[in-house]
Amino acid sequence: MAILFALAELSRFKPLALATSTLIALLRGLPEILVVFFVYFGSTHAIFLLTDEFVEISPFLAGTIALSCIYSAYASQTLRGALLAVPKGQLEAAIALGMSKPHTFFKITLPQTWRHALPGLGNQWLVLLKDTALVALIGVNELLLQAKMTAASTYEPFTWYATAALIYLGITLVSQAALKQMQARSNRHLTSNTSNTFSQHPVMTQEVTP
Amino acid sequence: MNWDYLPELLKGLGTTLELTVVSLLTGLVLAILFTIVLSLKVRVLDRLVKLQTLLFTGTPLLIQIFLIYYGPAQFETIKNSVLWPLLSQPWFCAMLALALNSAAYSTQLFKGAIDAVPRSDWEACQALGMTERQALIKVILPHAARRALPAYGNEIILVMKGSSLASTITLMDLMGYAARLNAQTYDTLTVFTMTGLIYLAMTGVLTLLIRFMEHKALAFSR
Repeated sequence: MAILFALAELSRFKPLALATSTLIALLRGLPEILVVFFVYFGSTHAIFLLTDEFVEISPFLAGTIALSCIYSAYASQTLRGALLAVPKGQLEAAIALGMSKPHTFFKITLPQTWRHALPGLGNQWLVLLKDTALVALIGVNELLLQAKMTAASTYEPFTWYATAALIYLGITLVSQAALKQMQARSNRHLTSNTSNTFSQHPVMTQEVTP
Repeated sequence: MNWDYLPELLKGLGTTLELTVVSLLTGLVLAILFTIVLSLKVRVLDRLVKLQTLLFTGTPLLIQIFLIYYGPAQFETIKNSVLWPLLSQPWFCAMLALALNSAAYSTQLFKGAIDAVPRSDWEACQALGMTERQALIKVILPHAARRALPAYGNEIILVMKGSSLASTITLMDLMGYAARLNAQTYDTLTVFTMTGLIYLAMTGVLTLLIRFMEHKALAFSR
């Protein structure tokens, strides 16, 4: 979905690009909890208005849809930056070699985009991981809801919420280690000299340089 | 659209804004202290700061809010202490969780900005005979603060959005009123669309404000 969003936003067909930008701006400007509630309660309401029937959407499905919308809105921004970061010469070289457009995109652009996008996507994965706690609010039986129920039945809220927090922390640390590995792997063909210029890349240093 | 809902929703706006501003300021003060501790490598304290950042950036904000609000009730000693009147208030707990969370993320951000200040700046200060502390406070920090501003702008918006989670511990902020109105009227699409518009307006205004501040603060670099 994020790839589609990124491509649509870069497309030369202006209305499509504009509509996608608006959708992304909407998703990024709203609190995540509101998006989750909107999808969960809103979808039931919309179906009721359309068909006059009361259909309950499973909270798990609603949660998944909401979280993937949020994630793709953020990830598409990273991908867009990464797509633009692939040097133009690469495309020209591919055309010169007589490669077709789809072929160029899948064989040349996408693999290089991946390398540029990985740090950003990794961070967003960590954010998404923490956002999964939100779906407990619409009744998906996940880590936090389990902790809540255990806490309520044992009268030991501190112990159980702290345990849930530690499990999240554990997953975060494992993901961070895995991401480091993947990053090292995606940069394996770079010599120390070029990898140095890569680390000064705008996509990576976005945080500190204005 | 039924505009009757608007006044009801706006009742929660004050709480949302108040919560955002107070926790941002508290978080900012903490983050600056934490960054100074990290940069000057104060013993023991810098370990604690690192642990705090790890804990608060590694776990979901919602759990932090639940932990701070529901957690202390487990311990009799806290219940009997002078802190209890504060800790049993949802407003204070939400503020504390948001402030600590924001402090953790901002510390990472500020530390990154300080590390990005060129070494030669430190060396120039040394050549002028400044102590490390003087150099940090007089030269490096103001410089780094300007560099960190764009990213801190994102943090401001994140805290504003995060304040909506306070509704889960019974605090009646914008989201709290929206959830109640939804439960009363079952007019889900209207209520949540309106709430979304209010949040969007707030993010819009904040973005403009931040851009204006950046424009001012970074005027020298153009």
